[in-house]
Amino acid sequence: MQKTIINIEDLSFVFDDGYTGLDHVSLSIDKGEFIILAGKNGSGKTTFLKHLNGLLIPTSGMIRVNGKQVSKHLIETRKTVGMVFQDPDTQMVGDTVFDEVAFGPENLKLHRALINETVTRILKTLNLFHLRDRNPSTLSGGEKRKVAIAGILAMDPEVIVFDEPFSNLDYPGILQVLSTIMDLHRSGQTVIIATHDIEPVIFEATRMIIMKKGSIMEDGNPMALVGRLEPCGVREPCFSKFNMKPESWQK
Amino acid sequence: MAEITPFAYRPGDSVLHFLDTRLKFFITCLLCLSLLPAGFISCWLYCLILIFFFKKSKLPLFSMLGQIKSFLILLFFVFLSRALTTKGDLIFSAYGLEATEQGLTEGALVALKFFLVMLTGLIFSSTTRPSSVKTAVQWFLKPVPFVPENRVAVMISLALCFIPVILRQAKEVSDAQKARCANLRKNPVRKTMGLVLPLLKKTFLSADHLILAMESRCYSNDRTDSEFKPSGKEKFFLLGSIMVSLCFFIFS
Amino acid sequence: MNSSYQLKMTVYSSLLVAFIAIGAFISIPIGPVPIVLQNMFVLLAALILGPVWGLGCVAVYLLIGLAGLPVFAGGTSGIGKLFGPTGGYLLGYLPCVFVTASISKGLGRKMPSDIIAMVIGSLIVYAAGVPWLMAVTSMPLKKALAVGMYPFLIGDALKIVAAAIIAKTLRPVIKL
Repeated sequence: MQKTIINIEDLSFVFDDGYTGLDHVSLSIDKGEFIILAGKNGSGKTTFLKHLNGLLIPTSGMIRVNGKQVSKHLIETRKTVGMVFQDPDTQMVGDTVFDEVAFGPENLKLHRALINETVTRILKTLNLFHLRDRNPSTLSGGEKRKVAIAGILAMDPEVIVFDEPFSNLDYPGILQVLSTIMDLHRSGQTVIIATHDIEPVIFEATRMIIMKKGSIMEDGNPMALVGRLEPCGVREPCFSKFNMKPESWQK
Repeated sequence: MAEITPFAYRPGDSVLHFLDTRLKFFITCLLCLSLLPAGFISCWLYCLILIFFFKKSKLPLFSMLGQIKSFLILLFFVFLSRALTTKGDLIFSAYGLEATEQGLTEGALVALKFFLVMLTGLIFSSTTRPSSVKTAVQWFLKPVPFVPENRVAVMISLALCFIPVILRQAKEVSDAQKARCANLRKNPVRKTMGLVLPLLKKTFLSADHLILAMESRCYSNDRTDSEFKPSGKEKFFLLGSIMVSLCFFIFS
Repeated sequence: MNSSYQLKMTVYSSLLVAFIAIGAFISIPIGPVPIVLQNMFVLLAALILGPVWGLGCVAVYLLIGLAGLPVFAGGTSGIGKLFGPTGGYLLGYLPCVFVTASISKGLGRKMPSDIIAMVIGSLIVYAAGVPWLMAVTSMPLKKALAVGMYPFLIGDALKIVAAAIIAKTLRPVIKL
């Protein structure tokens, strides 16, 4: 039996203006899963992800990360669940790649020597070490995404959440980010990806959750659910449309 | 901006590039301030020293001077203004303007000093990484009361991140305006707003995203201190610069 | 709540530091003298951030310029610029931002009061800049005014009007 890492019970969220963002969502996420969170824009994906990280606090219901209630253990939650946002330009804090990746551990007041060691190791694993002195805003789209991921990895999270990781990327950029995500999953990380374009990741995922209007419509094996996507406003992947064999994007 | 201005950092591996930024900053300030009482001889000697370091750090002196043309023109005006207004022995007069010997020498000296201060600043900023300027500022602010040096450091690095992003967006906005023939508009207020308003809106919205991203990465003001890597040649440079500034006083 | 307000103001202030720095580079071509937007961003910092954060914002801008980052007009920096002929204008931004923000806050952030506040703020910049220019270059007052104030007044008036409208549209967007 796998260990549950995130447990959500009857979660609802209503925005200040009365708009319902999430409507009675319940689910649990196990360690090591690779989850696609599919849904069209405005279906509540980002709202849901922000709850996992404690950026939004539920109107009603309960989220527990590692058995601890999120709203009462914010720092611990944010260390356990790392979040990579959609637009890398708006999440860069450091003026060099190295400083950007070191920002999280510096907030945790870790020892300087430990920070240097961690950041160097992560930059090397992600093949970013040669860029360490560059200003992040001068990098290519794929590189920026990878720097954003490195910044989250530096905090040593157990779960990594991606919000639209492939938006605005060209094909090589998507492949670059995809292989980084796959390596993370292989090394035992729990991965959650919110996207409206499931083509690149469906082959790799272990579970797919389809959202519509703040509720979970479907939850199960990705291949079994491909036919249910279009009623929820997500494009069905080509292979199933044309009755072909599914094929990994990874070479 | 970082790529186009003369004062921008230029990567390299000279002695100056590896000198501890705090000391480099201290030396720069010391030399600039002690230039005030200096006379002609020490100024010219100092100029030679600066040129030596320009060569040693492989900085393109002449192309950099070309880029601060407007400053040089300003210096020329300072010189003229001093030369024409100081009282003393008349050298020549024309069209009611009078140039005096004292005025010419004093004007030349003042202009030369401004020029040297500028060159010193140029050397400092073109051999120092912006991020280490930030950490040095943070270090110097530590003993200052009522100044939250960690927050200042975060503000500096955020501003450094924003500048290239805003410049790129400014270009985008102004192109989008041109594509719709906004340049035909005559009203300057509307022109200004057409450029600035979309830019501000866009960047403030992205700042909101940034705030979330920082929160999700546990942002706090109580942070790990930054580190400094002295190159081991600091003592030599400190001694040298103190000697130079003493010379300024002696040969004033 | 308090710490997240501080974070918000920190980020917004850094954003305006960036805008003030960029203001030295972007200009609107009108007539023979292009209008540089820097002082408009200083005024906007006052209107948007308020006295304390506005002051902090300008102080950080001057600090990074003093420390050698290329954020002053023409991509220059350093003591030489800050204490050079035009340094008075830069240092004048400090009282300018504080006074403008205090007046605008005190009078309730309405458009007419914003305009009054900005007019006074701009005059403070000249009150610091022109005597400084005279002292450094030993120009007589008349000449210093002709070189360092009169040519910019029309541009300033336009910028104040634009800043007032921008502040009015921006305040609801950023919800402070």
